[in-house]
Amino acid sequence: MNRIAARAWVVAILSGILLGGFIFFVVEFMQKSSQWVLSENSPFVDNNQQLSEEQRTLDYGTVVDRDSRILVKLDEGRVYSQDADIRKTSIHWIGGRDGNISAPLLAAFKKEMLAYNTLTGTYSYGDSSPVTRLTLSSKVQKVALEAMGNYKGTVAVYNYQTGELLCSVTTPTFDPDNVPADLETNPSTDDAYYNKFIQYHYTPGSIFKIVTLAAAMEELDDLDSMEFSCAGSYTMGVDKITCTGTHGKQNIQEAFRNSCNCAFAQLSEVLGTHTLAKYVEQFGITKAITFDGITTAEGRFDTDASAVNVAWSAIGQFNDEINPCAFLTFVGAIARGGQGLSPYVMDRISVGDNVTYRGSAELNTRIMTPRTAQRLQEFMRSNVADKYGDWNFPGLKVCAKTGTGEVGGNKKPNAMLTGFVADAQYPLAFIVCVEDAGFGQSVCVPIASKVLASCKEVMDS
Amino acid sequence: MGKIEAMATFTNVYITILRWMLPVLVAILLVRCIRPLLFFRREPEIWAWLCLPGDRKIPVTHWESVIGRHPKSDIVLNVSTISRTHAVLTRYDDGSWTISDADSASGIQVNGIKKKIAAITQEDTFTLGGVTMHIKPISRRQEKRLAQLRTKVSTFFGSFFNVILLTAIQFFCALGFLLTAEAGEFTSILMGFGGIIIAEWILLFFYITIRRTAFEVETLAFFLCTMGMSAIAAVCPGEAIKQVFAMGLGIGLFLTVGWSLRDLNRAKIIRYIAAVAGIGMLVATFMFGTEIKGARNWIFIGSFSFQPSELSKVCFVLVGASALERIVTKRNLFLFIAYSAMLVGCLALMNDFGTALIFFGAFLVIAFMRSGSVGTVALAIAALVFAGVLALKVAPHALDRFDNWRHIWEDPDGNGWQQTSGLVAMASGGLLGLGPGQGWLGNTRVFSRDADIVIATLGEEWGLIMVIFMILAVITLAVFSIRCASVGRSSFFTIGSCAAASILLLQAILNALGTVDVLPFTGVTFPFLSNGGSSMICTWGLLAFIKAADTRQNASFAVRISKQGGDEDE
Repeated sequence: MNRIAARAWVVAILSGILLGGFIFFVVEFMQKSSQWVLSENSPFVDNNQQLSEEQRTLDYGTVVDRDSRILVKLDEGRVYSQDADIRKTSIHWIGGRDGNISAPLLAAFKKEMLAYNTLTGTYSYGDSSPVTRLTLSSKVQKVALEAMGNYKGTVAVYNYQTGELLCSVTTPTFDPDNVPADLETNPSTDDAYYNKFIQYHYTPGSIFKIVTLAAAMEELDDLDSMEFSCAGSYTMGVDKITCTGTHGKQNIQEAFRNSCNCAFAQLSEVLGTHTLAKYVEQFGITKAITFDGITTAEGRFDTDASAVNVAWSAIGQFNDEINPCAFLTFVGAIARGGQGLSPYVMDRISVGDNVTYRGSAELNTRIMTPRTAQRLQEFMRSNVADKYGDWNFPGLKVCAKTGTGEVGGNKKPNAMLTGFVADAQYPLAFIVCVEDAGFGQSVCVPIASKVLASCKEVMDS
Repeated sequence: MGKIEAMATFTNVYITILRWMLPVLVAILLVRCIRPLLFFRREPEIWAWLCLPGDRKIPVTHWESVIGRHPKSDIVLNVSTISRTHAVLTRYDDGSWTISDADSASGIQVNGIKKKIAAITQEDTFTLGGVTMHIKPISRRQEKRLAQLRTKVSTFFGSFFNVILLTAIQFFCALGFLLTAEAGEFTSILMGFGGIIIAEWILLFFYITIRRTAFEVETLAFFLCTMGMSAIAAVCPGEAIKQVFAMGLGIGLFLTVGWSLRDLNRAKIIRYIAAVAGIGMLVATFMFGTEIKGARNWIFIGSFSFQPSELSKVCFVLVGASALERIVTKRNLFLFIAYSAMLVGCLALMNDFGTALIFFGAFLVIAFMRSGSVGTVALAIAALVFAGVLALKVAPHALDRFDNWRHIWEDPDGNGWQQTSGLVAMASGGLLGLGPGQGWLGNTRVFSRDADIVIATLGEEWGLIMVIFMILAVITLAVFSIRCASVGRSSFFTIGSCAAASILLLQAILNALGTVDVLPFTGVTFPFLSNGGSSMICTWGLLAFIKAADTRQNASFAVRISKQGGDEDE
C-alpha cells in the first residue's frame, strides 16, 4: 500500500497544472483586463461602430457640451440632439452611427466612460451612467455653421490661456438623423465625413507670413531698419514674384500689413531656405499634434535650391501645407507670449458622483522669445486696427492675419484668417479656412466676426 | 417615493452589498471545508498485529500490505532471505485474512506447507524466508478503544453549521436573481436553488442517521452546484428544474456507487459489469449517436438526451482500480491498456476530442499508480499509440483549436469570438462581479456560455475571486485524495479515488484553462458547474470514489465503520 500511496503524487501534478495555469491567467487578468473590456469588439464601450442588437441595450451614457446641452445619448443605437444644427456641428467630434466618420475622441476615453477598474469591473451603482462633457459650445457652433453658409472649410476657436476648444465646425456636414441618400456622390457634400480641423491640410497663403516674420524677428537684429521695395512684382533671375499691389518702399511692419509678396521674397533671400525650415520646425508648424486621443494631419514645408521657390514658400505657397489645428496652436503661442498650450476638447467625465476624468491643457515648450511674441502681437494688432477694421469685432481687441492660398486648377483660392483676441477677459485664438472662396479678408473676416461675437457672448454669460 | 422606486433602490443596495458579502461568506465556508480535508491528522487504522519471533509485533494498518525487505514495503522485514517484495497480506470485508506469494524467491509456507495463496487465522503460522510468524487480528475491545482514540473528523454541529452557511449563500444568490428576473422565471429560479437546498439537507440528515459526520466534500460539491445554478439562472432559467433533477439522479448514483464500494468483494464483481457497460455505452453512442458541434456524443431517446461518454468515466475508474495483491503478482497492464485504447479509440471516432483527452489523462494516472516506474515504458508506448490515433482521426478538428490557441484576439469576431467574449465578460466583472443577473454574457447568444465557458458567465456576475474559489474547491478534492492515499484500506480505493480526482481535475483544467486561453479550447464541462445532466450525474458518481477512500473515523458513508468478524454496524 505504501508504494501505491507514494504514487498518488501524480495527481498533484494535475492539481499543479490547474493551480499554476489559473495563476498564470490571474496575472494576465490583472495586466490585461482593462484592455479586454475596452477592446474593439467589446460590447461595453462605444467604438463608434455599427452596433449589434445586443449592444444597443447597453448604456454608454450621455455626451454633453460645455453648457450641459445633450449632444448624443449613447444607447439604443445613439440618440442625437433634438436640434439639427447641433447634430450637424458635433458629428465630426462624436461620430455617426455607422462608423464612417473617424471620431476617435469618445473611443479614446472609453476607459473613463466605462469607469473601469479591475476590482469592481464595469459595475456602477444602479443605473448611473457616464456623463461626458466636451469643451465645445453648441451655441457658438451653431453660429459658426450659419456663418459658413454654403462655404466648405473649417472654423475653430480655442482659449489660449486654458486650452479649451470652444468651437470647431467643419463644412460640408450632414445630419446623422437625416442622412442624404446622395451624401457620398453629391459634389456639394464632398468629404463630409472629414473633420477638417484635424484631418485636413491647406495651402496657407499669406497667413504663413506670420511664420516668416517670426523667423526674421528671431534671426535678424536689423530687421526694423530694413527697407523693402515693391513695384508690383519682384524679379528673381528668370522668374517673377507677383504682388497684389504696388506698395513702394515699406518697413517690415508696413510690408506685413500690406501682405507684400515682394517684401517677403526679399526677406526670404536674406533668411535662406534652411533658416526658414529651421523655424518652421521650431514653431511646430508642420508637426502633427496629439490631444485627447486625436492626432492631426501633418503639414508640409519643403526646402528648395531655387530662390523663387524659396520665396514662394516664405509667402505660403510653393509646397506649403498647414493643418488648421497645428497652426491655431502656433497662433495661440504668440498670443500667450511665445509659449502656448495644446487645445483639448474633453472637459470631464463623471459616472454618478465619481469624476473619472478632468481635462486640462498641456503646456508646450517655448517656441519664440517673449519679445518676438510681443512684436508679432503688435504687428497683427496693427493689421486689424489699421486695415481690416476694428468695427468687425466690437468690444474685442483682435490681432490677425489674412491669407489667400492659391490652389491651382479651376478652383478659387483658399481664404484664410487666423489671429487672437489680445484681451485677458477673452483669451481666444481662432482660425478660419474656407475652400474655393477668394480673398481671405472679404470671405473670412465676416465669419470670424460672427463667431468671435458669439464666443464673447458665451463667455460673458 | 413610489413602490417601484423603493423596490429599485432596494435591489440596487442589495446587489451592492451582495457583491462584497458573498465572497466573504464563501471564503468562510471554504476555509471551514478545506481545513479538515487538507490538514486532518493521518492516523492509521490498525487491523491486526503481525507476531514475529521474540515477541515482536508489527501493526498491520491496511487491508492490503506488502511484506518484504524493500524499505517502502508496508511491513519491512529486513532479513536477507526475504525477497524485496515477498508476500501480500490481505484482509477481507468479513474480517478473514489471506497471505499470497508475490513471486518471491523462497515462497511462503503456511503451517509448513508451501502455498501460493492461503487463508489464514490466528491459529495458522506462516513462514517467509525462514522467518515464521502469525497474524493476530485485533480484538473487539482493542478495536473499540482504537476507534475512540482516533480523532473524530468533524462534529455534527460543524457540518450542520456549514450547511446553514451554504444555505444562506444559496438564499442570497436566489434572492438576487428573484429581484432582477422576469416574473415568468420566478418558479424556475425558486425550484432550482430550492432543489439544491432540499437535497443537501436530506443528505446531511441521512448521514446523521447512519452516524457519519464528514460533509466537507459534499458541501464543496453543493457549493459548485449552486454556482452552476447561478449560471443557469443567468443564461437559461428554464433549465433549472432539469438540472436539479439531474443533480438528484447524480446523488442517487453517488450513494449507489458509494454503497457498492463499501464491500471490496462486491466492488470487484461490479467492475466486470462496469467494464462491459463502459465500452457498451460508447459503442452505442458511436452507432446511434447524434452529432452536435462536430462531436458525435449525444444519444436522443424521444425528447430525452444524454451523453453516455460521461457515465463511461465512472465505469472507467471502476475498471482501472485494482487490488494490491493483483498489482503485485500480475504486473502487466495489458488488459487495461487494451481496454483504455478501445475507449479512447471510440471517442476519437466520435470526434469527441475533449473527452478522449480526459480518458487518456486518467489512463496515465491509473497506469502509473498501478505500475510505478516499471510500467514507464509500456506507458510511453501506449501514450504514443493513443496520440497517433488521436492525431490521425481528429487532426482537422484538433488542429483548428491549436491554430487558435493564444491567438484568439487576432480574430475576435470569428474563431476567437467565443473566448474573447468570455474574457471581455470576465474583465467586465472584475474581482467582485456585477451581481446576479447583471452580466452581459448571459443575455448574448455566445455558444455554451452555461457549460464550456461557464466560468466566464460566472466570472462576470460573481467576480474573479469566486471563480478562484471554485477552482480551489476542485483542487481541494484532489489534494484530499492524495492525502487519503497513505491511510487507504485497499489500493482499489486509493487508485479509484485518485483516478476520480484526476478526471475532475482534467475537466477543470481543460474547461477553465481552455476558456481563458491558457490551454487550447476543447469544450468539456466543468465538474458540477456546467449545465448538462449527464455531466452532473457522472460527477456525483466520481465523487463516490473520493468518499470511499476517506478512512477518517466516522467520516464516510462509503467506508464501513471498522468492526471485526463481519458484524454490521447498522
